[in-house]
Amino acid sequence: MSPVDFTTQLAGITLRNPLLTCSGTYGFGEEYTAYCPLESLGGITLKGITPLPRLGNPVPRLAETPAGLLNAVGLENPGLDEFVKSYLPKVRMLPTAAIANISGFSLEDYVQLARALQKDSGLAALEVNISCPNVKHGGMHFGTDPQSAQEVIAAVKAETDLPVIAKLSPNVTDIVGMARAVQLGGADALSLINTLLGMQIDIHRQRPVLANTFGGLSGPAIKPVAVRMVWQVFQAVDLPIIGMGGITTWQDAVEFLLAGATVVSIGTGNFVNPQAPLEILKGINDYCAQRGFASVRDLVGLAHN
Amino acid sequence: MLIEGQVVIHERLGDEDQRLRKLVLKGPIAQTAKAGQFVAIQVQDFSISSFDPLLRRPISLAGISSERDEITLLYRIQGRGTEILARAKCGDKLSVMGPLGKGFSLPDEGELWLVTGGIGIFPLYPLAQSALAQGLTVRLFWGGENQSFLESAGLSSWQGLGIPIHLSTLDGSLGQKGLVTVQLKELLEKHAISGGKIRVATCGPKKMMQAVTDLCLDYKVPVEVSLEERMGCAVGACLGCVVTLTDEAGTLIHKKVCQDGPVFQGEEVVWDESC
Ligand SMILES: Cc1cc2nc3c(=O)[nH]c(=O)nc-3n(C[C@H](O)[C@H](O)[C@H](O)COP(=O)(O)OP(=O)(O)OC[C@H]3O[C@@H](n4cnc5c(N)ncnc54)[C@H](O)[C@@H]3O)c2cc1C
Ligand SMILES: Cc1cc2nc3c(=O)[nH]c(=O)nc-3n(C[C@H](O)[C@H](O)[C@H](O)COP(=O)(O)O)c2cc1C
Ligand code: FES
Repeated sequence: MSPVDFTTQLAGITLRNPLLTCSGTYGFGEEYTAYCPLESLGGITLKGITPLPRLGNPVPRLAETPAGLLNAVGLENPGLDEFVKSYLPKVRMLPTAAIANISGFSLEDYVQLARALQKDSGLAALEVNISCPNVKHGGMHFGTDPQSAQEVIAAVKAETDLPVIAKLSPNVTDIVGMARAVQLGGADALSLINTLLGMQIDIHRQRPVLANTFGGLSGPAIKPVAVRMVWQVFQAVDLPIIGMGGITTWQDAVEFLLAGATVVSIGTGNFVNPQAPLEILKGINDYCAQRGFASVRDLVGLAHN
Repeated sequence: MLIEGQVVIHERLGDEDQRLRKLVLKGPIAQTAKAGQFVAIQVQDFSISSFDPLLRRPISLAGISSERDEITLLYRIQGRGTEILARAKCGDKLSVMGPLGKGFSLPDEGELWLVTGGIGIFPLYPLAQSALAQGLTVRLFWGGENQSFLESAGLSSWQGLGIPIHLSTLDGSLGQKGLVTVQLKELLEKHAISGGKIRVATCGPKKMMQAVTDLCLDYKVPVEVSLEERMGCAVGACLGCVVTLTDEAGTLIHKKVCQDGPVFQGEEVVWDESC
């Protein structure tokens, strides 16, 4: 059997393989190295940053649900200056592609972040989070209104020479409309999906479990929603898709590829199994090899035929 | 590291009413582990893999034997996850990440006082062992619900260490009736007069640790506290488990219980901001 070709083109960047890790679940790249060597990944997406440092929400920030996880971290991050000064020098040395994830509360926030992060920073791309459900008056407004979404992406695109990935919120009635809007804004690729807004109530204390009341649901519980959205967007919009939402096993990853994702990204699955990315890569490889696919690219969107 | 730890012993600890279990796992984690560190263990129905419960459960190391390649976990059946964990049988393999976090530190000389309530006692046993091995004087203050609890949770093995032990129970069935901090205060007072060098390590309910920290600050005794928070990744990547501290400048900062802790200096902790 000849080896399966894993190289993947995404928005003008070449990835070793089509496997990324999700923003907010993989820190700034150093936390999981004892479990999963970075050189085995196609790339990592860094924790979301904002112009100013943020302490985020109070604890408890996490609540487990059936096959899912609610989080309300609230975009805790060191802020742009500290990111550039203390984190970026280490990030550039990582043996894999690093994608920065940016969040804002206004158009100016996104512009400021995009202006500071260019190709010479060593980053591979910018993922624009217009969909964080955990901050008040936050990004989600941009992620639920097509007009604002288009404006944000256009503004970011105008400021940076890095490829721009728009990360969409699933908390909308028309995901295709949102995808079309960011395409008009000039997005080079799409990330689907961010977390679904949810909550949990402690029936003993008769209070919400999360200090923030609401949180974003991730993990296997949201996978069918994510697969559906990847499927719909693949049919309607001609942009590469980074599929995410509940990917924990290689079977999940194959499902996303078949639905139309060019790249898959692992988030909460790392918490369950810190070696999930390695096992998923091996599983995809064996799946392709056994069925005679020479390249993982052959799987992308195959279920639509 | 991530290992498949084989269950060597899994048994009830003391009275069934206390819902306590002892789990001994074979695997190389003990080689690098120290007291105060923990593991993140996968709890699943072991006959068929599933993603419910999804997350690993953090459990402290209650015993570390590098000669035998074994770690001991002592836990209380608290909810669904530990209920499922309790079904693991001898010979089963459990997925365990660890050792995680930073443990307690030992003073170079003087006395180490362990102050604890309830099952906060569990991570302190290996600490007492290393302190004694290093020639330090160790003293235990332990408060619990009642006699049955203290006996179930390992009183006899503590007595086996031959150290002074100050017990208290809420119902007075063993030791002094009331809170553990009463006896701690009495002894701190005595030592303040004699001027001995002391370090305190505490683990247990948050209110108790806060009271212990306040007392230690009053008597200018350094204190290390072991905190708990809900965890996602257990390696510092998700920011789920933060605790609020003050830095030297008095600014509020966050640190991660899983990676920077679970042991922190008592005086840094901003208790009202933490769970
Ligand atoms: C660093 C650390 C060390 C610990 N060491 C021990 C130990 O040695 N022995 C022991 O009995 N218990 C210990 N605990 C507490 C133990 O992790 C919880 O009792 C256990 O996770 C409960 O899971 P469950 O599914 O049975 O309960 P549920 O209440 O059903 O759990 C639901 C969710 O809440 C989380 N959770 C519940 N209680 C706690 C808690 N007290 N702290 C953090 N998360 C919690 C669970 O992990 C899970 O995600 C420790 C916790 C931490 C953070
Ligand atoms: C703890 C946590 C923190 C997250 N932080 C961010 C973030 O900062 N920016 C972002 O765009 N998405 C963030 N996400 C969303 C993930 O990147 C991902 O879109 C989502 O979790 C779905 O994938 P999963 O089910 O594989 O986790 C976060 C998710 C989790 C669980
Ligand atoms: S549990 Fe993820 S940072 Fe501590």
